[in-house]
Amino acid sequence: MRVGDEMNTANQEKFMRRIRAALGHAPDAVRDGQGLFPQAPSAAALALCEGVRRRTALEREKLFDRLTAAAQPINLHVQALPDAAAVAAGIAELVQARRPEWGDVKQVAVWSHPLIERLNLPRALGDIGVPVITTAPITCPDDADRSRKEREDQRREIVASYIGVTAADFCLADTATIVLRNRPGQPRTVALVPSIHVAVVTLDQIITDMKELFALLQWDEGFRQEGLTRYMSFISGPSKTGDIEAIMVHGAHGPKEVRLYVVTG
Amino acid sequence: MSDITTERYVAEAKKGIADPVLQKALVFLQDRYGRGAAEAYRRLPEGPELRLTAHAIREKAIENLDVLLETLAAKIRGNGGHVYFAETAQEAVDYCLAVARRNHVRRVVKGKSMVTEEIGLNPALEAAGIEVIETDLGEYIIQLAGETPSHIIAPAIHKTRHEIADLFVQKLGIRRTTHPPELTQAARQALREKFLTADMGTSGCNQACAETGHITTVSNEGNIRMATTMPRVHVAFMGMERIVARLDEYEIILRLLCRGAAAQNIGVYVSYIGGPRRPEDSDGPEEFHLVVLDNGRSRMLADPQFREMLCCIRCAACLNACPVYGKIGGHAYGFAYSGPVGAVVTPLLTGINRAKDLCLGETLCGACMDNCSVNINIPRMLLALREKLAYGDAAWQVVPVSRAECLAYRAWSWLIRNRRLYEIGLKLAAVGQRFLPQVNGMIRRLPPPMQGWTLSRDLHPLAAESFMEKWRKGM
Repeated sequence: MRVGDEMNTANQEKFMRRIRAALGHAPDAVRDGQGLFPQAPSAAALALCEGVRRRTALEREKLFDRLTAAAQPINLHVQALPDAAAVAAGIAELVQARRPEWGDVKQVAVWSHPLIERLNLPRALGDIGVPVITTAPITCPDDADRSRKEREDQRREIVASYIGVTAADFCLADTATIVLRNRPGQPRTVALVPSIHVAVVTLDQIITDMKELFALLQWDEGFRQEGLTRYMSFISGPSKTGDIEAIMVHGAHGPKEVRLYVVTG
Repeated sequence: MSDITTERYVAEAKKGIADPVLQKALVFLQDRYGRGAAEAYRRLPEGPELRLTAHAIREKAIENLDVLLETLAAKIRGNGGHVYFAETAQEAVDYCLAVARRNHVRRVVKGKSMVTEEIGLNPALEAAGIEVIETDLGEYIIQLAGETPSHIIAPAIHKTRHEIADLFVQKLGIRRTTHPPELTQAARQALREKFLTADMGTSGCNQACAETGHITTVSNEGNIRMATTMPRVHVAFMGMERIVARLDEYEIILRLLCRGAAAQNIGVYVSYIGGPRRPEDSDGPEEFHLVVLDNGRSRMLADPQFREMLCCIRCAACLNACPVYGKIGGHAYGFAYSGPVGAVVTPLLTGINRAKDLCLGETLCGACMDNCSVNINIPRMLLALREKLAYGDAAWQVVPVSRAECLAYRAWSWLIRNRRLYEIGLKLAAVGQRFLPQVNGMIRRLPPPMQGWTLSRDLHPLAAESFMEKWRKGM
């Protein structure tokens, strides 16, 4: 939309002049925002990052317990399993136990992600005759027609799936929150459109709270490169509503059921 | 601009008080969320004082609004998003219509947002021949019924399951059921179809973070995630004040927002949106637009008496604590914002004289401030509005509500400063009061124009001998 952008700039200038005048500054004042945005991490932020790095196995177990306690009241199912094979078996069991919400076809959509690949779901679910759709990154982003077709195809498959399996970037123990960041091959719809969302994480991905998360995303060498990405979502339990006589119902629009598998091995 | 019915405050309030369904719902809401928020503040590791920290964060953001908004806009544009700054509601609506036209939009799914109510987006889109669907379950019910929301976070709280059942039978063609999970499922199915076929999704913005360049949306249902993920185009609207500088500040605001709104530690979904999808992403909107709205806010910003109101994060905790809202409900306020926040914001945005009854109706008890997630001194601003209504104010184009009342109080003020005349007045009144109806030695009714004073209480008659007279006689 290059056409409208010139108008936008003119509007923006007027808008800012009005704000500056209202704040008692000269309308043309150049305000650089010095001191508003920290250029270096605070001691507190560094301590938070350091705390995550130095976390012992025992502390991690305690965080897992905290996560489980926080998950219970919001109906997030959390299960610790020793390895990828056990998670795959758990998902296969789930697939057998649950029927599709729309139609009769059982289909599962899964992210392209190293941890999910380790589960080898196409084999685990293939054994029980359930197709697994892996969401590949767009192969030729520069070709508009081909990429549109790829997107449409993928979207159709995700909409047709009743379970979506994703990894996660982090889990926040205090609020039982699954944190997903945006990457190619890991579409957000997999955690949104299917009736059941299954997330798989490893024990070391559990951190305490938003404070730790934000400190890591901003200041930790390993995480700050990607930062928040263009679309980050926090998911704390299944979708819910209380809009009819304040009675709580799960599955207003998002998944009705959310399960979190934690690989401990 | 959407229909503003704020002039009908008194009549609508009476209707609200007479509605037994609404009365029951209000008691429940205030009991659960009003008290719930207060308890949630107490349980914070930092304690309820975190609200004061949040107030300081919001104040700092407001004082640097130009810098923060420019930083946010630059980051979003860097990601390929568009940012439009709208001075008026009309400009914001026109921009959205232009985007819709360019994209041949026929169907819009809306994530709940107060600011789109404020600018009257729905009627404008509909007038352009575009189908608009509210997707928050409560808002959807209200839209099907052709009504307006009665509460910021629980818009359909005034409707019973029986009314909703009838509505769904009529509008969605379902088999009649009054079971809330089945009703929810019916709406889920109807709306899923809309999400998958809409060309444009709209949302508000709960709070933006300038430093990272994200807007964020919070929801429990997942409708906002759907509306901002499935359609090709996402247009987000934010009041220009809904921004903080840094991520660590944002963290504090988010925690308080969820506690204030619904006594939750966190909403089910919090989404951070920094632009449209990238070419290699397989989902998310192709186009992302952010519309930043002034619509009278810069006027509040310029007035030191009302600047504090821009700290508001629209959590609705004040509604859940207010004894007036708790009786009259949200419709009486006649604009997008109800309760104590509405009593301050509506006059400032739509005209102080026009919305005069809103601030006169509040009790000044301070419950709103105590329950406010960012500790805004709403009673102070209600008083400031009342002062303008009493004496007039050129800057805000306020004319005194009653010149007679203004004059009467001036006369009274002069009288009590002239002892002799005052005593003569007392003597006359002592004679006059004999002609008023009395019960058990109390005056039952005052004559017009003072009859309001004795509407719900009796008045002590003037003593035969005043205190001063006794004093002079040596008691």
